[in-house]
Amino acid sequence: MTSWFGRLRLEKRNAPGTGVLLLVPLVSVVAALLFGAVFLSLIGLAPVAVYREMLRVSYTTGYGIADTLVSATPLILTGLAAAIAFRFKLYNIGGEGQLYVGAIAASGAALAFGDRLTGPAAILLVIVAGALGGAVWIAVPALAKAWLGTSEIITSLLLNYVALFLMQYLIFGARTFWRDPESATFPQGARIPDATRLPTLGTTRVNLGLVVAVLAAVVLYLLLTRTRIGYRWRVFGDAPAAARYAGIPSRQVIVVVLLLSGALAGLAGATEVAGRAGRLDPTGLALNIGYNGIIVAALARYNPLAVIPVGLLLGGVLNAGPALQTLPGARVPVAISTMLTGAILLFALAGELFVRYRIRMRDPADVEELAEQATTAVASPRAGTGPEAEA
Amino acid sequence: MKLRRSLLPLVVAALIAAACGGEDPAAPVGDETDDPAAAEETDGTEDGEADAEADGTEPEGDDDVLRVAFVYVGPVGDAGWTFRHDVGRQDLEDALGDRVETTFLENVPEGAESERVFEDLARQGNDLIFGTSFGYGDQMVAVSEQYPDVVFEHATGYQTTDNLGTYFGAVEESRYLEGMAAGAATESNQIGYVAAFPIPEVVRGINAYTLGAREVNPDATVQVIWTSTWYDPEVEGQAAESLLDAGADVIGMHQDSPAPGQAAEAADAYWTGYHSDMEEFAPNAWLTASVWDWGPYYISTAESVLDGSWESREYYGDMADGIFDVAPFGPSVADETQSEIEARRQEILAGDFAPFTGPIADQDGDERVADGESMDLGALLSFDWFVEGVVGQIE
Repeated sequence: MTSWFGRLRLEKRNAPGTGVLLLVPLVSVVAALLFGAVFLSLIGLAPVAVYREMLRVSYTTGYGIADTLVSATPLILTGLAAAIAFRFKLYNIGGEGQLYVGAIAASGAALAFGDRLTGPAAILLVIVAGALGGAVWIAVPALAKAWLGTSEIITSLLLNYVALFLMQYLIFGARTFWRDPESATFPQGARIPDATRLPTLGTTRVNLGLVVAVLAAVVLYLLLTRTRIGYRWRVFGDAPAAARYAGIPSRQVIVVVLLLSGALAGLAGATEVAGRAGRLDPTGLALNIGYNGIIVAALARYNPLAVIPVGLLLGGVLNAGPALQTLPGARVPVAISTMLTGAILLFALAGELFVRYRIRMRDPADVEELAEQATTAVASPRAGTGPEAEA
Repeated sequence: MKLRRSLLPLVVAALIAAACGGEDPAAPVGDETDDPAAAEETDGTEDGEADAEADGTEPEGDDDVLRVAFVYVGPVGDAGWTFRHDVGRQDLEDALGDRVETTFLENVPEGAESERVFEDLARQGNDLIFGTSFGYGDQMVAVSEQYPDVVFEHATGYQTTDNLGTYFGAVEESRYLEGMAAGAATESNQIGYVAAFPIPEVVRGINAYTLGAREVNPDATVQVIWTSTWYDPEVEGQAAESLLDAGADVIGMHQDSPAPGQAAEAADAYWTGYHSDMEEFAPNAWLTASVWDWGPYYISTAESVLDGSWESREYYGDMADGIFDVAPFGPSVADETQSEIEARRQEILAGDFAPFTGPIADQDGDERVADGESMDLGALLSFDWFVEGVVGQIE
């Protein structure tokens, strides 16, 4: 009658220890892998072999690691974009669209002014343009949230579709400034000047974007933990009422945090254009990097420094997808990577429960006592001496 | 302590899952060997895994076996573009048997992401790699320069290197024949055409189709709707419906899904498809289609790599090469029309007829190609105007 399950109860934690904070993401990943293992088994594949191959492809060879770093670069930036906003309970779901607009702005600036600049100035131009583009794209949701109380979840999400259509229109829809005038066969973006391309490391595709991403993470971490601004934001996020009493201007915080978040996602668009693609490429950019940033942020528990390793993890998992298809003798569906990342998010969010609460077993004695109370409570009205009699 | 207890259920669940995961792998091998087609692949597993672990070492018998890889943009089950390429891959396997070993990757995104995929394939020891989407161009150029001993072939591309060639086909020839079937079928003299993007390839097809339709029915017009997508069944279907509402009773298409045909079927109209024989999707509406047949090209290319005669080129195949043709006619195509089309087809195969032979006028009625003249390949590949009879605008 009193199963162990019935004896579980949730108890709120006051201050979760570092052990729990580290353990929850780890367990989330392991749980996602086990979850994936069940599916792999069901379609007749050996999970261990598949996971071993994933490790091999993404983390054990020089070129595998290089490619993981390349894929992780935009994920870290969109991860930071989500982390900085979500940390203060501002839910910017529009990283995807901000990335597109950042890419549009970065490629536009590179095409317009790139020829006149050289060296660091050219690269700075692309990076600043990308960040501005992303910030502009979240400006309306941010202002609407601050002054009208509009849900930034809805507005930022819907603008993703607008951004996608805008990007497609610029290349496929008309002969615009962004489109390569010499591509006769199929519309594509114009190549940006070489001076505006991010330098790469040796013969690999690892580019300066990675440095930008890591620097951004460190700066954000210091901003949040070591400065007065960071302190005010934390008060705003964790105790809005206290923030009001302390005279922290919440509208200003909302706008600044969201603009920063959009700028980071826009930066991801800029590093994609200047680091990898070399042109505005509407199909090549639509890889859900913005949405995946939310997974990165959740798993990193919105800690900017933790975003870096989590970005590397997710980048490797996603990279392994296509490569797994060539696993000899087995056709591993490419969707396995996307499924795993989805499962990781699910388990990371479920893991939040363990951070905020601890699960305790009640003592069997307590449980029996409770059960007795319940039976008498149920039994008493039947006995006819109900509340009526008392009244 | 408390933490450990709280995690217990999770660990139990994990162990159960691990047990499930650990048991199954043996079973599928047994399952697959029952299937004769899969048996060969399963045989390969052992060596394959050994290769994978050795990482980078050349697989056994590399000298006589040509390893061929295909990179697809969509799923092999799309019934259209990617499906036809995969049929070509299977034809290659059937034709060359033990001399080739093929692998394919599906759903590979275009653009920067694909570079890693092509590089992996080159590194894994593939000798010949086909990329079947336009958006792989820059990446195939980059990887081909890094791996000069591997042969690359890019469908629909325009950039070549010493070891990267391009291939495509003059499908306007069969588009013309399709158009004849459409022109004969229409009673309202209004044909609708659902088209992806206003680019030369698509414009060329629409023009050939219109010329064919107007050869058998000088009053026929072809109205074009752009969808800005190669594959989106919903958008394609809606575009077809709006054309049907506007009075069209035949639908042509330059799209990947059979959705326009299903819309035509529902409206008791007719349909010409694309890429593959899609008759089963709309049997009553079905007239015919331009159908790609990549097998012959894949076979001849693999053979030329095997015997060392391969050279980088820009291949633009015609119907006589067998790279495309018209699909079998539906029952609603009259016998008379069928024989008329077949006569034209024979002329095309013999090289006696080219669809873009003058006189050809543009939409304003101005003569663009003089009587007896033919448009050259350069003009065809940059086609940016519609012929007389097309309703609609480029952009």
